[in-house]
Amino acid sequence: MVDGGAQVEERTGMTRRAVLGTLGAVGVAAVAGVTATSSAVAQALGQNEPIEAALRRVFGGRPMKDGRGVIKLDAPLIAENGAVVPVSVEVDAPMTPQRYVKHIYIVADKNRIPVVARAVLTPDSGQAYVGANIRLGESGSVRAIVEQSDGALLQVTREVRVIVGGCGG
Amino acid sequence: MSDVGKVRLRLPSSIKAGDIVRVRCLVIHPMERIERDASGRIVDKKYRYIDKVSVTYLGKAIASFDTTQSVSENPVFAFTFKATEPGKLAVTFHDTHGATYEGAAEVRLG
Repeated sequence: MVDGGAQVEERTGMTRRAVLGTLGAVGVAAVAGVTATSSAVAQALGQNEPIEAALRRVFGGRPMKDGRGVIKLDAPLIAENGAVVPVSVEVDAPMTPQRYVKHIYIVADKNRIPVVARAVLTPDSGQAYVGANIRLGESGSVRAIVEQSDGALLQVTREVRVIVGGCGG
Repeated sequence: MSDVGKVRLRLPSSIKAGDIVRVRCLVIHPMERIERDASGRIVDKKYRYIDKVSVTYLGKAIASFDTTQSVSENPVFAFTFKATEPGKLAVTFHDTHGATYEGAAEVRLG
């Protein structure tokens, strides 16, 4: 009787360990799967990716013209606090129903999530102007990319020096 | 935390019909940034940040923003609209946790 009991206990002990081991492995796999899918869904626009991948994904390699003289990108030369960097974009282009500025993208090259924001404008906006406070992880280029209603792309770049990074992620 | 969702709109003090008006709006929101654990891996959770901002004037959509976590905490957005007649200018914010916040201002012409 006593011998048998010890044996059973021994056996269950082994099984429990094995079961726990298996569960652990399954758990890790499940978590990995969730990470991949949920971040892709949650961040349709701003994914954790390098700048080249982001531009390719959003613009599909379409040619971009230099927008100097048309786009005015206002950003500080030196941002003391990367957590709050005021940026504004003004486009000198007509806003008529025939031809208007459709999208303004604000892109920070060095951020882990490079596409900061996309503004969708309509002819009722009157003027293509948007502003936002953005985060910058480190010193680098900030771009404004303008997409017009006919699909033409223009971009300008500004260097911003960041003293204290504001992304953390 | 209780202030989350407070919206403030700033318009010029006098607006004439036909003016292109610049508006700044502020919303109190944490805009959670990506967190990493001790080993540097991204913590997987549903981060709470504003992903959509839409502006309407007289009930008509004027502009909208699609935003990411690269936008700062308590974000400020600026935009323009063409004032044609008196009416309501409204800005709606939508975050990833499904909450919506609205701020509105009466546009008076004079």
